[in-house]
Amino acid sequence: MKKAEINTAIVLLILSGYVVWEASQMPPSATFGPGAGFLPFWLAVILAVLAAILFGSAVRRPATEKDQKAIFPGKQALLSIAGVMIGLGVYISLIEVLGYLLDTFLLVLFLMKVVERQRWRLSLIVSVCTTVGLFVTFQLLLRVTLPSSMFGF
Amino acid sequence: MDIFNNLLLGFQVATTGENLLFCFIGVLIGTLIGVLPGIGPVTGIAILIPVTFGMNSTTAIITMAGVYYGAMYGGSTTSILINLPGESASVMTMLDGYQMAKKGRPGPALGMAALASFIAGTFSIVMLTLVAPPLASFAVSFGPPEYFALTFAGLTLVSALGGDAPVKAYISAVLGLMIACIGIDAISGVGRFTFDSMNLLDGVGFIGMAVGLFAIAEIFENIEEPIKQVFSDVKLGIMSLFPNRQDWKDSFGALWRGSLLGFFIGTLPGGGATLCSFVAYAVEKKVSKHPEKFGTGVIEGVAAPEGANNAAAGGGMVPMLTLGIPSGGSTAVMLGALMIHGLRPGPMLFSSNPEFVWGLIASMYIGNVFLVILNMPMVGLWVQLLKVPYKILMPLILTIAATGIFATDNNIFDMWIMFFFGAIGYVLRKIDIPAAPMVLALVLGSKLEMSLRQALTLSHGSMAIFFTRPIAATLMIVALLSLFSPLLIRLWKRYRAQLTAA
Repeated sequence: MKKAEINTAIVLLILSGYVVWEASQMPPSATFGPGAGFLPFWLAVILAVLAAILFGSAVRRPATEKDQKAIFPGKQALLSIAGVMIGLGVYISLIEVLGYLLDTFLLVLFLMKVVERQRWRLSLIVSVCTTVGLFVTFQLLLRVTLPSSMFGF
Repeated sequence: MDIFNNLLLGFQVATTGENLLFCFIGVLIGTLIGVLPGIGPVTGIAILIPVTFGMNSTTAIITMAGVYYGAMYGGSTTSILINLPGESASVMTMLDGYQMAKKGRPGPALGMAALASFIAGTFSIVMLTLVAPPLASFAVSFGPPEYFALTFAGLTLVSALGGDAPVKAYISAVLGLMIACIGIDAISGVGRFTFDSMNLLDGVGFIGMAVGLFAIAEIFENIEEPIKQVFSDVKLGIMSLFPNRQDWKDSFGALWRGSLLGFFIGTLPGGGATLCSFVAYAVEKKVSKHPEKFGTGVIEGVAAPEGANNAAAGGGMVPMLTLGIPSGGSTAVMLGALMIHGLRPGPMLFSSNPEFVWGLIASMYIGNVFLVILNMPMVGLWVQLLKVPYKILMPLILTIAATGIFATDNNIFDMWIMFFFGAIGYVLRKIDIPAAPMVLALVLGSKLEMSLRQALTLSHGSMAIFFTRPIAATLMIVALLSLFSPLLIRLWKRYRAQLTAA
């Protein structure tokens, strides 16, 4: 945790530096009070102060039991989380290519089969039910036009 | 008399067939979310926003509010029966509730939880009915300096009360305000931080961010620490649920103290249901004649926190409806939804949309009755629901969230925002930075900036305008006190330590 806090503080300091620079590029307003860059500039300054406090207190305080533990989980869980992220990313990228029905079916199947390692039967049942249920709710009941592929589904 | 006329109007709105139906659906979903561990009220409301778009704004808020206070009811069931809180506000109910169940009295514990929720919930709605209109008419006179001071005080209070590391909460709030700056500046028309993307000109989509930070990040966290599946085979007849005369006598004090504490702490930004239940339990233990028995299954230990968290749900609506300042994560998400529905939450709401405000308040009276009916006889059914494994729920939550996000604007970019903030939200959870201040800041950001710049234009750039007007000055002092409270507390402790050492 201690190390994570120090890293967070450094990332935040870089971010606030970037925002200060961006804000200073924004046109100042002479007639209408403070201009567009006013709030972002001061927010970045405050963020830098907060990051410095976080940095300082993380360096100064003695390490606790919580600091000994790694903050991210073991390999297994991290792989599952990465699996969900990749699945979701691919799903969003392909939704206009494959169409809502096929894309959603494949995402749920992927989550059940690859990420959670369920049996085929259960995976297929859940995939079909989820896809059909969502399609009926959103497209038929709520009249949302969901993306469809070039084949029209 | 005005209040009665208004309430009457409210009940006329709330008792139309459609609103009754959606009030019922709302509290039903709320109970469900409360019962299921691994999905909290904020997530539930965030996912539901897109679904409410087809409705008119009154029906939509009735449904969302139903989810909010319904979750407070449902959370107690699993705490009592299987020692697993359905959401964070029921953690305190677990201490004595589970012990009562173990001692063979699960019925009265569940019954008292439901009835305490009903009594305190109704009490807080009565208070809301009485307190909100005068507060709103007071706030109508607010100008830009007052509004800025109010929003600033709301944000600092949320951060100061919302956890044990205020610096991290402030970081979260500042980041949220920065995200609110993205897009075209409403005063000068300059594009800010858009990275030359057309999609960002309009700013970061609120729903995508909220669903990402809460729903998606919650999924990742649950994958990491799988939810234990525990079953309870308790058989409960309806008659066994009613607490006996002694139980009522023991709980009477806890009930009214819990209701009052819950309502008043709940109205404070950052108060929230979880904090209220902690405070109520602690107070009850302090005033009790037998504090040593707490934690062994005393019924006051169930009545106090359950009453408090439901009263807080009503209290939390006060600042949201009258001032346009949400009190925590759930109300922030609701407020964001109202803005998307085209309403301007704030003091004018009471005069410009009376049917909306009073319809909502009346629906909360009705919803509380629904909840007692749902929770008392059907508690066995809710327990059965726990048999649905999370591995089936996970893909379902993920796809509902993604589809809902798309449905709000027919925009795939919003799904990417959800994706992005899902990852951010997970990392934030890992380093203990709370997400609620960030969402609150995004909701309030544009109005905060507007009022700040308007006020400074009025005063020709002098900050003194915030300290020379009485209301603004009071609010600024509150804000500064809460901003520096961690520092003040530390100095006070050092001073005390020196005193004792000397």
